[in-house]
Amino acid sequence: MFATMNNIPYLLGDQFASKFTWFPEQASTFAAENDWLFFLITWICVLFFIPIAGCLFYFCWKYSKPKGQKAESNTAHNTPLELAWSILPSFFLVAMFVIGARSYLNQRTVPEGANNIGLKAFKWGWTMDYGEGIMNPELHILVNEPTKLSMRSSDVIHSVFVPAFRAKKDVVPGRYNYMWFEADVASEKVSAEELEKAKRQFEMNGGGVWDYDEWQFTPDGYRFFDLYCTEYCGKNHSVMQTAVVVHSTVEDLNAWIEKVSKRPSDQTPEAWGEKLYNQRGCAGCHSLDGSKRVGPSFKESYGNERLLSDDTTVRADEDYIRNSILYPKKQVVKGYQPVMPSYQGQLSDDDIASIIAYLKTVSDYGPKAAAEVPKAEETTEE
Amino acid sequence: MSAGSLPSGSQVKDPGYPTPSENYLTNSKGILSWLFTLDHKRIGVMYLIGVTVAFGVAGLLALMIRLHLFQPDGMIFKGEEANNWYNQVFTLHGAIMVFLFIIPSVPAALGNFLVPVMLGAKDVAFPRLNLCSFYLWVFGALFFVSALCASGLDTGWTFYTPYSTTTDSSVILATSGAFILGFSSIFTGLNFIVTINTMRPPGMTWFRMPLFLWATYATSIIQVLATPVLGITLLLLIAERTMHIGIFDPEYNGDPVTFQHFFWFYSHPAVYIMILPAFGIISDLISVHSHKRIFGYRFIAYSSIAIALLGFLVWGHHMFTAGMSSLTTIIFSALTFTVSVPSAIKVFNWLATMYKGSISLTTPMCYALSFIFLFTIGGLTGLHLGTLATDMHLHDTYFVVAHFHYVMVGGTLVAFLGGVFHWWPKMFGKMYSEAGGRLSALLVFAGFNLTFLPQFILGSRGMPRRYATYDPEFAALHQMSTWGSMLLGFGLLVALVVLLRSLKSGKRAPANPWGGATLEWECTSPPPFYNFERAPSVGDPYDFSDLEWDAEDERYVKVEPAREIVPEEQPEAEPVHADDSK
Repeated sequence: MFATMNNIPYLLGDQFASKFTWFPEQASTFAAENDWLFFLITWICVLFFIPIAGCLFYFCWKYSKPKGQKAESNTAHNTPLELAWSILPSFFLVAMFVIGARSYLNQRTVPEGANNIGLKAFKWGWTMDYGEGIMNPELHILVNEPTKLSMRSSDVIHSVFVPAFRAKKDVVPGRYNYMWFEADVASEKVSAEELEKAKRQFEMNGGGVWDYDEWQFTPDGYRFFDLYCTEYCGKNHSVMQTAVVVHSTVEDLNAWIEKVSKRPSDQTPEAWGEKLYNQRGCAGCHSLDGSKRVGPSFKESYGNERLLSDDTTVRADEDYIRNSILYPKKQVVKGYQPVMPSYQGQLSDDDIASIIAYLKTVSDYGPKAAAEVPKAEETTEE
Repeated sequence: MSAGSLPSGSQVKDPGYPTPSENYLTNSKGILSWLFTLDHKRIGVMYLIGVTVAFGVAGLLALMIRLHLFQPDGMIFKGEEANNWYNQVFTLHGAIMVFLFIIPSVPAALGNFLVPVMLGAKDVAFPRLNLCSFYLWVFGALFFVSALCASGLDTGWTFYTPYSTTTDSSVILATSGAFILGFSSIFTGLNFIVTINTMRPPGMTWFRMPLFLWATYATSIIQVLATPVLGITLLLLIAERTMHIGIFDPEYNGDPVTFQHFFWFYSHPAVYIMILPAFGIISDLISVHSHKRIFGYRFIAYSSIAIALLGFLVWGHHMFTAGMSSLTTIIFSALTFTVSVPSAIKVFNWLATMYKGSISLTTPMCYALSFIFLFTIGGLTGLHLGTLATDMHLHDTYFVVAHFHYVMVGGTLVAFLGGVFHWWPKMFGKMYSEAGGRLSALLVFAGFNLTFLPQFILGSRGMPRRYATYDPEFAALHQMSTWGSMLLGFGLLVALVVLLRSLKSGKRAPANPWGGATLEWECTSPPPFYNFERAPSVGDPYDFSDLEWDAEDERYVKVEPAREIVPEEQPEAEPVHADDSK
């Protein structure tokens, strides 16, 4: 940490050189108006702050006297002056309120014909519902067209925040909240070579969860805007992020939806299951290395006996896994809380079958893995 | 007349020094004489020690937060449980600071010591209730410690449902602690209301009270009216957790936003419990150290009451994004703006008090100046958050974190320190090193700004609150903030050392070291256990005309013109009516 001592001039330089910005990129119709209002308020604040701070230091310098000297004046009050400084700032306040409230109403009134996308928040991830059973954690929308998000949460309160759009709304369990925005900057697509290179690197690192921060584009090669959870929701609150991609044409958007909607014919169920494991929020709670997280590890999970919270045991076969995905609170492994959200209606039968196929590959009981893993490495069961 | 010399031929009024048997610190000995004391001054000192310990613990937690955030992936906590550790640390930092430090800091620690002395009274109205509220504070603190030892607390200090009804950390222990602390707060408030209403000395009308008493009175009203709502809310939360009564948890047909309404109905007024006493301290500090009558006494007094009442109507601005109807949201925004007016009035009045004064740049004055600077920033940035459209972007980001730290730390903590430095000679009868005190004020000011100014920019760039790890583009500003927090911590340590050193080697304090005109300066330093031998005559609390600096003894004294009996000679003849009886 102390190595960064040397970087202090650099840090200051970075912050106060020409690169300095108050805001992230403006990428929605709200952004320009919001930033304008922010700076208006800031300038009004400066207008008040400079005289206040100025008087503060000037009086200290001017009227600082040795002990024992009397004050030059002992005026107790001056009603007109006091009324003036009580009432005059109120005009600024009214102006801020009115502009802010009008702009807010605009942000809360969804235009006719907005594209509707469902959003489901859970600990700790997002599922965007594009209709017809097509779900994906990334939010893909169209440029210059209003998008409405109908939002619900399956556990605790979350909050959707897209800084580039200057838009935020809490996602509250037990009610539907909505928000809308109209993106006016389309996401670029990185070149095919760059994407190819990143994918190779990704495979070399052993796959797993795609690191958006590291690559700065989505696995499909789009630049993206950050979407954060801004209502504290527990352990992985700070990684409950996803990407917002703005497509420039409907064709492009449809092509992407087509690509993610179902398992491509050239992909094995195991590979598709691994992708779902990383994309759909499994990886946040279920490890692959046997370590205990919020939920039991998937390592050596398939095919083994499981001790449940009601002290019965059950074999984790295909049907048990399927039930655990669809009705996760029914058969909870002992030592864990019933906190997993149900994936009913969110995963197709093929998806679930793919996940089961993938789980078999990380268990010695899986027929495929059994062939690959030498018997010597068999670990003792828990 | 030159400064530092007393006018010749005048009479000097000074109470001198207390004897050890009079001094409230030494008049009885032994630990039990403290634990069972009913003396409001000793209870005040015990509170002072208690809140300082709580502040030390929560401050160390704050440093852990900042150090962890030095790197995007987290620097201190590592491994699978890193985020859980971080969540527990920031929760305890918030909960301890709010419930154990800021709320009792000024009203309970300084208020207990000062309210009766400023009134010229012997004690508060209910001394036993006073001791009881101190022990409730201790028990509440013990509950927090036991929550920490059991399975920690990871809900954030706001206990938002349904997270708090589903997490397996010790929510019930912690909420019980907060519930008990609430009673401590209610008892203190009740005690002060009765004391100020019934025990003012003859001649002290409402508008001849020191402004610190006005602020304490307004605070007490909020404590008595708002804190029961917190108690009810926390009980409902416990009931929801244990019995699933279905009021907050959507799984049982409750509504989590209801909890937020209940919670902020208390906790927003609580913000004014935290800041109003600070206003009172600053009003007195600015006036005394400028040796000039406070400007616009009535406006300041009324604005305290206005803030106390308006503070009850603005809780909804914590929930602008929670999903209230647009109409409700807009109404809360409008109400929120109204509360900024009385705060602004006070700042203008303080500046006008300094104008053409005779300012002594003592340690308490340095803290008071620092307060005005920092609180003004804190107040003005509230406008960005009260404005609905900009709040949609800034809500729950570091902008909010910076805003309320400017108000709570730059405001309340700095005022509390200023108050402690101001009344320290009165409380312990010792003068501290002025150079050390001013140095601490400067370090705290610089460290504070370095910590929290970058956070405004972090917030407007979109960095969300309560993140254990963050995107690399925010790293530089987070690092500036961490360096600042260490400077701030060092400044606070200097302040503590300066004060503690004075107890050992400080010069004996005169009764009136600063030239204050309120009643507490008319008894000895430290006061005798009975405060005043006889009820003092009440003058104007802000009339400094008869206070003179005595350079020889380094003290201020009240000077009265020499009195002589006129006529000097006895009349020779008997008055005619002298033998009326005949």
